[in-house]
Amino acid sequence: MIFRPKKPEAGEGSPEARGPGGATRAGFGTMLKGVLYGMASHGNVTAALRTRMHLEHLFMFITLGDMLGIPVLPPYYSLRILPYAVPNVESWKQRVFRERDFTDAIY
Amino acid sequence: MTTPFWFVVLALVAYAVAYWGYGKWFDRNIWKPDPNRTTPAHMYTDGVEYFPVSRYVLWGYQFKRVAALGPVLGPFIAIQFGWAPALVWLILGNFFIGWVQDYSSIMVSVRNQGRSFGPITYEFTGNAGRNTLLGFILFYLLIISATFIFLVANFLNVFPGSFIATAGILGTGILAGQLIYKRRASIVTVTVLSLVLMIVSFALGTIPALQWKAPFGAWNLAFWAALTCVFLWLASVLPLPTLIQPVNYISFFPTFAAIVLILIGALITPATGVALAQPAWLGFWGTAGNPLWPILFVAIACGAISGWHSLVGSSTTSKQLDVETDAHPVGAGAMLSEGLLGLASLACYMVLSIERIRELGNASVASWVFGAKVLTGPYLGPIIGEAGMTIYFSVVLIIFAITVQALVTRFWRLVSAEVFGESILAQKHVSTFIGLAIPWLFAVSGAWNNLWLYFGGSNQLLAGLALMLITIHLARVREMTQYTLYPATFMIVTTLAALLWQIRVFYRAASAGPEKTLVVGVLKQYGAIANALDWVFVFVGVALFVLGLIMAARTYMAYSQAMRGQIPQPQPAAGDD
Repeated sequence: MIFRPKKPEAGEGSPEARGPGGATRAGFGTMLKGVLYGMASHGNVTAALRTRMHLEHLFMFITLGDMLGIPVLPPYYSLRILPYAVPNVESWKQRVFRERDFTDAIY
Repeated sequence: MTTPFWFVVLALVAYAVAYWGYGKWFDRNIWKPDPNRTTPAHMYTDGVEYFPVSRYVLWGYQFKRVAALGPVLGPFIAIQFGWAPALVWLILGNFFIGWVQDYSSIMVSVRNQGRSFGPITYEFTGNAGRNTLLGFILFYLLIISATFIFLVANFLNVFPGSFIATAGILGTGILAGQLIYKRRASIVTVTVLSLVLMIVSFALGTIPALQWKAPFGAWNLAFWAALTCVFLWLASVLPLPTLIQPVNYISFFPTFAAIVLILIGALITPATGVALAQPAWLGFWGTAGNPLWPILFVAIACGAISGWHSLVGSSTTSKQLDVETDAHPVGAGAMLSEGLLGLASLACYMVLSIERIRELGNASVASWVFGAKVLTGPYLGPIIGEAGMTIYFSVVLIIFAITVQALVTRFWRLVSAEVFGESILAQKHVSTFIGLAIPWLFAVSGAWNNLWLYFGGSNQLLAGLALMLITIHLARVREMTQYTLYPATFMIVTTLAALLWQIRVFYRAASAGPEKTLVVGVLKQYGAIANALDWVFVFVGVALFVLGLIMAARTYMAYSQAMRGQIPQPQPAAGDD
């Protein structure tokens, strides 16, 4: 259930992403596949990830509200869940504290 | 030279020079992208908003997001001056301004930690500047909504079979969403099933017995507009995966196919014998009595330059750019490709004579459908027939409008939440109702021709303001600014002049009383309402003009400060490694 974002190395993260200084050539099939995926699905994938992110935020808030001084769940359950939630705390903080604006919400 | 072929080829050559000639030079001398510099996608990777994506994927994504109804219908308004000025603006506008704005919007965001234009505006012009932008965008969204709702309603009204086909496609989208997200069905299976159901929907639209016409006489347009609003309301309040996402996904296939079919049709005109039917030049004042400058430059927005693109480029694309050198193929490449869509649409209008468009009457706004049929008819007609082509292209036109409008309505709701805070006006159903009721009224007024120029004016003004933000950034990092400053100034002056012209048009109609109203259709018979609407349009125009002027003044002041070194250099965000 818990969303654990992967930190991609160079060349990982999405089909054919190269990373800084990576190679620059791709075959025609790769290009075509990438373009069609980008046109048809990439926006949907991003939107699905965002929906999941908001659900994760809610989940983290409910289970670890104590961290923010809000005892949403009895501490016993929070402690039981803590080992599973700890790996996500860093990325959770990173996403929650990020400056967001209405112009970020277009797509 | 009697077919559209040569003009399409001319534009292709010009765009190639823009991309590989001017584009590369601009890249080397202004932005100097470094493939070894870490982009926000790598610096702030979270797997949700920030993650590296291949340039091919991003190109496809950016193109799909920017290519909608704007480049399709803009040339129709612009041919009031003949096709030659429209062609020249499509080529030169994109060559010197359009791609520069799209590409630089991505780069300025990349060089500012992937932030979108709201925070960048705040940094350069302060809170007042950002609030002005917010107000401007609010009016801008109202105008977009009004024009797009009118267009969808009009297309549904003049093409009787299009309703059943559109409903079939929307239903297919909802079904696809349920299968993908609830049943976890394979995406390939769902895609194939959706394609089959869409073909069935198009086929149903060609059956005369199913070509339902609204029975409300003069109120038909109002009825179709209301029905469109119901769909948009659902799109705004339902979760994205339920409606907008799957509908956008499946609608990609017929819309993209239509663009390719029309371009092929234009390129084989020497073989098919389809000839130019529009005059190349109809004079400075055109056929509608509007001056070529500034009206031409706002009539064709997307395709030549569009402010909406800067919002798209800085909101998502910049956060997913793998390496800086990808910004050129993604930003410039997508914009120049959109120019081709504008060009394909212009070709559709070039092959229709003025008399033919006049004959179409209420359907003249859908001339694109008839032009597309002329261009593709020689090779598509024998396969799907006359009725099939009519339904196919009319539904594509509706899908182009309705999918973008669904996102605009949703965006309106989000902007309303930002503007109205804790007020009841920010509540999702209330804000969506307001964001649809006002545009519905504007749409029913039928003054879409003039509202389109407001839309173009505000859209292009946004582009000018985006170019100014880019210029401010370049000034503070001590790079050459003239290649963005001059285009920005041209766009700001031109669009403010266009808004003034349109305000004048509405003001003259409003002050002359109900007899001279610009309202057409069913509301015209209610003199007081028609006159009141004219005054409302004057107010909307004045609001857009004043907010745009304030915003422009603030950006020029910020530019002056940046030139004097009073705006600090971009710094890494706190906590960056």
